[in-house]
Amino acid sequence: MLTGSKTTFKVRQLVPDVKGRMQSHGGLHVRGRDHFGLQCLPGECVLQRAVLVRKKLSAAEGGGWLAGTLFCTHFRVAFVAQDSKKPDDSADPVLFGDHDVALASIEKVVAVGPSRTKLVTPSTSLKFTPEELVVYCRDLRVLCFLFDRLTPETQAVEITYAIAKTYQPMKPGSILSFQNSALGSVEMRQFLSNRRQDCHMNWFETAADWEKELERTRAMGWRVSAVNDRFEMATSLPRFNVVPQKVLDTELKKTFAHFNEGRIPRWCWHHPCGSDLLRMASLQNNIYHEKDDIRNLEAIVFGVQQQCVVVDVAEEMPTPADIQLAHTRLRALCLGDISTNASVPDDRWLSTLESTRWLDHTRCCLKKAAEVACLLRERQLSVILQEPEDRDMNCVVSSLVQVMSDPYCRTMLGFQGLIQKEWVMAGHRFLSRANYHRDSDKEEGPIFLLFLDCVWQLWAQRPSRFQFTGDYLLALHDSAHVPLFSTFLFNCQRERSRRSQRLTQSYTPVDGWSEGPPEEASQHPSDPPFPPVWDWALQYSPRRRACFTQPVTQPILAAPAVLNGNLNANPDNHKLNDAVPGSVFLFSRGSFTSPSHLLPWRSGGGVGSYRKSHRRAPSSESLPGLDRLLKAYSLLEVCRTPSSPHDPQEPLLPLLLGPCVGVWKECYLRGALHAQAWAHPSSTSSPFASASTHHPVDQLAQEVQQLRDKLAQVSFSRAASKTNRQQFRRPEANLNRNASSGTFLFSASRPAQVTPRAIPPTSSLPKAPLPKCPITGPAHRDAGKRTFLFGSTPNGRADLRYTPTPSVRLAKNSGSSLKS
Amino acid sequence: MLSGGGGGSGGGGGGAGGGGGAGGGSGGGRSPKPSFVSYVTPEEINLTEKEISRKEKQPDLLQGEVIFCSASPIRKCTQDDFSQRGIFGSLFCTNFRISFISDETQLEEEEGQVFKNKLYGENDIPLTCVDNIYRGFDEKKKLITSGSVRNKYPSKIIIHCKDLRVFQFSLAFAKEEDAKKIFQGIVHHCLEPKSLKCIFAFSYSEKMTFSSENQTKLKTVMFDSMVDWAQEMKRTKGNCKLVSANADFNISTKLPQFFIVPLAVSEEDFTQFQGKGIPIWCWSHHSGCALFKTASLPLMQEDGCSQSYRTYMERMLNAVAQNHLYSVKTEELPETLPTIQDIQQSYNKFKQFFLVDNTTEFWMSDVKWFSSLENSGWLDIIRQCLTKAVEVVECLENENTNVLIMEEEGSDLCCVISSLVQVMLDPHFRTLEGFQSLVQKEWVAGGHHFLDRCNYLHKDKELQSPVFLLFLECVWQLLQQYAPAFQFSETYLTVLSDSVDVSVFSTFLFNSPHHRATTIQPVSLLAQKGPLNLPTVWDWSVQFNSAAQDFFTNPLYVEKSRQDKVPRKTFRPKHQRHQSLPSTAFKSSPKKSFFKDETDSLKKMLRVKRISRWLNPTDLTQSTTREFYEAWQRKPLDYHGLLLPCVDGPALRVWAQRYLRWLPEVQIFGGGAMTLEKKLVDLLAEVRELRGKLDWHCSVDFSHRGAAALAGSSVRLSSAFPFFVSRTWSFKPAIPSCLQKNLITGTFADKEDEDSECLGVI
Repeated sequence: MLTGSKTTFKVRQLVPDVKGRMQSHGGLHVRGRDHFGLQCLPGECVLQRAVLVRKKLSAAEGGGWLAGTLFCTHFRVAFVAQDSKKPDDSADPVLFGDHDVALASIEKVVAVGPSRTKLVTPSTSLKFTPEELVVYCRDLRVLCFLFDRLTPETQAVEITYAIAKTYQPMKPGSILSFQNSALGSVEMRQFLSNRRQDCHMNWFETAADWEKELERTRAMGWRVSAVNDRFEMATSLPRFNVVPQKVLDTELKKTFAHFNEGRIPRWCWHHPCGSDLLRMASLQNNIYHEKDDIRNLEAIVFGVQQQCVVVDVAEEMPTPADIQLAHTRLRALCLGDISTNASVPDDRWLSTLESTRWLDHTRCCLKKAAEVACLLRERQLSVILQEPEDRDMNCVVSSLVQVMSDPYCRTMLGFQGLIQKEWVMAGHRFLSRANYHRDSDKEEGPIFLLFLDCVWQLWAQRPSRFQFTGDYLLALHDSAHVPLFSTFLFNCQRERSRRSQRLTQSYTPVDGWSEGPPEEASQHPSDPPFPPVWDWALQYSPRRRACFTQPVTQPILAAPAVLNGNLNANPDNHKLNDAVPGSVFLFSRGSFTSPSHLLPWRSGGGVGSYRKSHRRAPSSESLPGLDRLLKAYSLLEVCRTPSSPHDPQEPLLPLLLGPCVGVWKECYLRGALHAQAWAHPSSTSSPFASASTHHPVDQLAQEVQQLRDKLAQVSFSRAASKTNRQQFRRPEANLNRNASSGTFLFSASRPAQVTPRAIPPTSSLPKAPLPKCPITGPAHRDAGKRTFLFGSTPNGRADLRYTPTPSVRLAKNSGSSLKS
Repeated sequence: MLSGGGGGSGGGGGGAGGGGGAGGGSGGGRSPKPSFVSYVTPEEINLTEKEISRKEKQPDLLQGEVIFCSASPIRKCTQDDFSQRGIFGSLFCTNFRISFISDETQLEEEEGQVFKNKLYGENDIPLTCVDNIYRGFDEKKKLITSGSVRNKYPSKIIIHCKDLRVFQFSLAFAKEEDAKKIFQGIVHHCLEPKSLKCIFAFSYSEKMTFSSENQTKLKTVMFDSMVDWAQEMKRTKGNCKLVSANADFNISTKLPQFFIVPLAVSEEDFTQFQGKGIPIWCWSHHSGCALFKTASLPLMQEDGCSQSYRTYMERMLNAVAQNHLYSVKTEELPETLPTIQDIQQSYNKFKQFFLVDNTTEFWMSDVKWFSSLENSGWLDIIRQCLTKAVEVVECLENENTNVLIMEEEGSDLCCVISSLVQVMLDPHFRTLEGFQSLVQKEWVAGGHHFLDRCNYLHKDKELQSPVFLLFLECVWQLLQQYAPAFQFSETYLTVLSDSVDVSVFSTFLFNSPHHRATTIQPVSLLAQKGPLNLPTVWDWSVQFNSAAQDFFTNPLYVEKSRQDKVPRKTFRPKHQRHQSLPSTAFKSSPKKSFFKDETDSLKKMLRVKRISRWLNPTDLTQSTTREFYEAWQRKPLDYHGLLLPCVDGPALRVWAQRYLRWLPEVQIFGGGAMTLEKKLVDLLAEVRELRGKLDWHCSVDFSHRGAAALAGSSVRLSSAFPFFVSRTWSFKPAIPSCLQKNLITGTFADKEDEDSECLGVI
């Protein structure tokens, strides 16, 4: 919390003429954190403002135009709606308001004049008064501001200039100055350093975190090794890695050299059916294998299992360059460009979409992950994901596998932990792939965005199996374009911790999150501290954050498989005896093979024990495996038949046929200037698959929730008043409350600050019976004026639209639902 | 309806056969080896025991339904090509349908029951629903045309239905004469030209006496009486003349009995061109302008006639113009929209993607899915229709101009466009009853040639075209984009599109009101009864029970509140009017001079796209429509006001429920729109229940039925929910991946040569 200290303004690295203008408009920034309704961050100064501007709302926000004031500060373009609530001065600063965009995520600015349009750059001189300002963002948003006739012309021109001068194309210097202006102020530093990490989430930063994950997944036979504590063995690996228990640290050290970049096989996840998921880089082929090494290598490859399948992740998968190309094409397709006016004709849209190959890449990743998920489900074996570098597609596939197979990863906290584990700690080269500094053009490739798209596909097909919503994915997508978060700013954990000066500490405290923030001031005073992206409260207002999770999900999932994970749940368990131990297969192009080069030490004709067992009956040994795999699929089919309930271990397999894969419209098409027809949230998903939204459902579910609580309260109080019936009433009321909280998926793991969407405390509810339509009640009086930036209609209006009048229709519908 | 003991005993007898069928099925699954499958081995063993149980099976016949021929055992094959699975049963051909009765006991009754069609079951194909029949041999198939039937019969027939189901029947196990008979019977009744009287509706309604109160209690306005038209005119505050001169079809057989024309059209104008060229009123905008449609005469005629037609047409245009503000815009639809043959061709291409004979084929097509969809052009035709409708809406709403849409017959694209315009402009037509009235008004009374377009009689393929389906598609796109504005649901539209192909309803049986009247009358004379009482499709109880009909309403629909109904005009903002009023005032003057200008050739006159703007270059049309569209977008969305569709590339979608519902591969289990809708309904019910409880403050019976219902119901749903419950499971795995294909084919390979190379390397 920032204590009431009023902000002092520091102007740093400002272009001289901007500075001059600031001084000329000196009156603008004297009133503390509140300038004309704009809630400034500490250290933020307003460069220019324009009154009576109207912002075009996307269809998801309800459409139409919103009147207000446009600001350009030195790290964002902000828009404050005319009648928005007076900001609360004591509230924590939020980096971006609902209509704001960071300067660093602006890609270009176009001014629309009476008869022409012009791309505005810092060197541009405008020869006309802009009527409209279109801001294209890197995250595929397009903001459109319309100057009213009453807007003073000077303001319109000046703010255009101000934005043009301050937003800068990405290069190392501009990023740094942006980071400084956003987070560099003393107050902001102090504020950030006081923020605590979310302790409900697994950050995978300490050994304890990994232990926790091992415990959660019930993995046996593994241990957390600190052999890489000072990043000596492998620079790109995290400090702590999970390796088989039987391999000692001294033995382990010898194996690093055998793998590319020292990325040894590491444990990722344990399937409740007994399989383990591992990932590794490719093996160095030209190294002489000593006998001891071989034993260690074998041990570390097999982990705790008898059999192991190596999945070549790189094969048939797009390269980062492919992904980059596809993403560029997709951008071009989705963002109709007002300055060039070159848009794809409507009747060629679909084929152009196909030719971007973005959906093919999505499909490809999902397919690979689905295959691995089925492999894991099938029987006890180690599945090792192998990629030459183990830093790109391995991240995608291993996290997708877990999203599919582990219900916990479909919660918000679980998903964040998953990204910490498989991306941040595993050393995905976020910095190079995002190319913030424009210094790694060849390596640029939005692999993380591709992953988000894959998750969205899964989400769109079965939204009810996820705890987080599309809004959450969208927020994550947008945050990846803001170079402020430590999560996305580094290539590996070593860089990350070096930046936060943690290398000075020789030991990391074992008890994870309690680790205090590093003292920054002494080291590089110019570099601001970077918060993790998971600190959503820093970025988004509570109202927006409330949309990140579904209030109610299907109660079937209430018990995640891992909590009562039964190791004997696998029906095939007893048949495992016939598996020949020590066999390694390569799973490639949909079939199993045992190529000799898979484990180079085996092909060398050196140690024979494994080889011998392997030679015994290669075909007869593997065929039952295939057979069983087939059977596993048919088992899956049985699970899909209506008679059996959802098997928690059944992976959430995506449908990948053409009609089922869709475009993430809320993300890619929200900027399309003329594509506005998806005002209704139920049409917001893929073009062919179902319309899958949670919005009206959420409204109702929330209402049900409130009513239930209300009812519980009423019945409870009644029961309490009637002493003679007390024995009966009380348990019932409790039962009800339990049940209602049971409809929350994973209610236990929900952190305190994510709950505003959930039920208000029962005590605060009015005593009187609820109004007929509670949504139009006073709480939502100003709802129509608010808007969501992300994907949902304004609260109030949506309510008015979706809430049925509780008269005739209800009676009509109830009949069917009760019967069914 | 019959549900006699026959069904029960049949079910009992089927038990034995069921075992055999299941055994065959699992056998196929265990060793799926297509190259080695002999079509005789497991099945022949079972033949004898099947023989016994088969006899008692009979389909539950409807009133007036007669069995023509039957054969058994017939195997209904699954679309899966790896496993030669199938169900044994008997195949019947009646005067209504082709019916397959499975020998296995019907276990799936409970869930399918919710949305069961009373007229035909899931294994029944109404004869008029048959689209194409193929003979299957080896891996190929060949289209069977009506003339090509000889004495031979194929071992396998593949039937493609108009509602996109695909059936494969193997005739190889039946006795030869039975198989030949059923094959020829099916081909004869499905493909040969026949007379209208052979359509099942006539024998059905002869036997079935529909209580007339059934008809009267319907709220749908049928537009078959003076009162209906008068009321409709009153509702829209139209200021036109109701004509009853055609009550006995004296003027024209093409026109409805009653119709409405502009006030200035005189009596003698009616007879001049057999009713052609008369501007028929469709709908009045609240500003006073109105939409008219007319059948235009073909333009190539000898001079004398053309001259008189020209003067006649001008008189008519004048009459229309006098309706409001002296402005009129004519729209010659065939010039900008595709012809009905184009529509048919495009739809033929489009539907092929969804008629899946075997699933591998479908998987293969998937790679080029988007571009092949696009190449069919169907979505583009939808886009063109919607765009045209938006243009017309713009004239009515923005410029307050009368619009006269013209087409040669005035009953195909005119119907599409005029009904679309009304759906967009008038919230009344977005209610269930209103929509049905609209179809009744524009299509049935408007004389759409349903019989020819649906080609029930297999007479002229040239006339066949899915024009009505095109309209439903357009409405679906609107519904998809603005779901809360519609009282009916997607399911309703799907069912309606299916009902077109069930030859029971009078709605879709005739080419015009005159055709209908003349067809019904003589029958009544012969039968010495009142006029034939054919059911209309709007009597949904003929097809569905009330529980199933609940799926027709949209849970998201927001009914108009009382206050909303009064200020209808305020929804139009002031500044718009300022823009448009001066321009309309300006427009009227050049047009008047135009009408005096006699020297222009008729052709030119009619070709002028926009009389109101004919001084402007034509591409202004585009930009003004776009402006209008954008201006509309800036206003907050009013679900009870004007709705304009978005026709951008990504906005037009495939009607997944209609086209993809029978394909298990693309069904999302536990997901999809219908699942969501179901959940909404459940939640609504729960809200209601809880509110009720709260109101009563009663804590008796405090159970969680709501939650339990939710949990129970949503598990089984899939994206194709009311039509295709997830009971049918294929042997295809959940992931359509190379893993699967290779696994399966790989297994074959491995079994064929035991020393598989890939495993023997080491």
